[in-house]
Amino acid sequence: MKEITELNLPENLKYSDSHEWAGVEGDVVTIGIDDYAQDQLGEVVFVEVPEVGANYSKGDQFGTVESVKAVSEIYTPVSGEIVAVNEALADSPELVNNSPYENGWIIKIKADNISELDTLKDKASYLEMLKG
Amino acid sequence: MTHEFICKPPQIIDLGLIDYTKAFEMQKELVAKMINGDIEHDVILILEHQPVFTLGKRGGRENLVVSEEFLRSKNIEIIQTERGGNITYHGPGQLIFYPIVNIEKRKLGVSDFVCALEETMIRTSKDFSVNGVRDAKNHGIWAKNSQTGVNAKLGSIGLSVKRGISFHGLALNVNLDLTPFSWINPCGMAGILMTSLENETKHNIAIKSVKEKLLHHFKEITGIEI
Repeated sequence: MKEITELNLPENLKYSDSHEWAGVEGDVVTIGIDDYAQDQLGEVVFVEVPEVGANYSKGDQFGTVESVKAVSEIYTPVSGEIVAVNEALADSPELVNNSPYENGWIIKIKADNISELDTLKDKASYLEMLKG
Repeated sequence: MTHEFICKPPQIIDLGLIDYTKAFEMQKELVAKMINGDIEHDVILILEHQPVFTLGKRGGRENLVVSEEFLRSKNIEIIQTERGGNITYHGPGQLIFYPIVNIEKRKLGVSDFVCALEETMIRTSKDFSVNGVRDAKNHGIWAKNSQTGVNAKLGSIGLSVKRGISFHGLALNVNLDLTPFSWINPCGMAGILMTSLENETKHNIAIKSVKEKLLHHFKEITGIEI
């Protein structure tokens, strides 16, 4: 596993305590799992995504990531409606490992209230939490 | 506070022979209590299941090679679960170990935890003079047969992780009747051989002695004080 200092955590994203990242464009938030999470999970073999149009509240489980022999839940850091899911993950779940912030994004959600993301951590405070 | 939490040893509950659904409900209840803080320690369930086939989250029914009617005639249910992995069989004589552990708080990665459970089974098998090995392509533990070169599956792993808490666990074949495995492609793989500690050694092995070894190695490998 990676040392905390080796983690790739882009400055422009926000991070949840359960290791999802959120990238904001207007009121649409792109969500995936971060480098720490993909490293801890190991090789991802399947990603279960929700249906476009589904509504979730902050903290709800919206899908699962299956790594070898383990199914882990993933949670949305913001309430809203799913407006897109990453279809490429159906055939290439390994994108979550290889490109967690770009090709391996999981969902896009239209936020009901973007200020819900204020409780998320920036890179520095997320790193502090991981060092715990 | 976190430190205090980590230092609390897990509670070990030996359930003996138990119905799959009952044990599953119990796990879900324990996980819920751990999430909302009613229980502040980890829990390890040790048990054997009454005969049952279970499917992984993504199924495995296609790997049943007999009819469901046939299984009904044998009084064996098929149950859908939320764990990783594919179809498998559980029955008396197979030792089940469900560590319900807050791996997030203990800073254990999921893949590391899978490896720790594999290592626990390897060391336990070694105590009974069985050479358990990993297979790069197929997780779980295999008994190495150096004469034929064909390995047979000895133990399996399937986990679920909810809010940082891992549940489900490992199943190590000790002295069970292996016949029901021939009614499926275990773990979704056709043509694999299944075995047990007793089948490998041709000696009687009591579940109780395996339990003790398994707990000992789990403690040593994970560093979780028991």
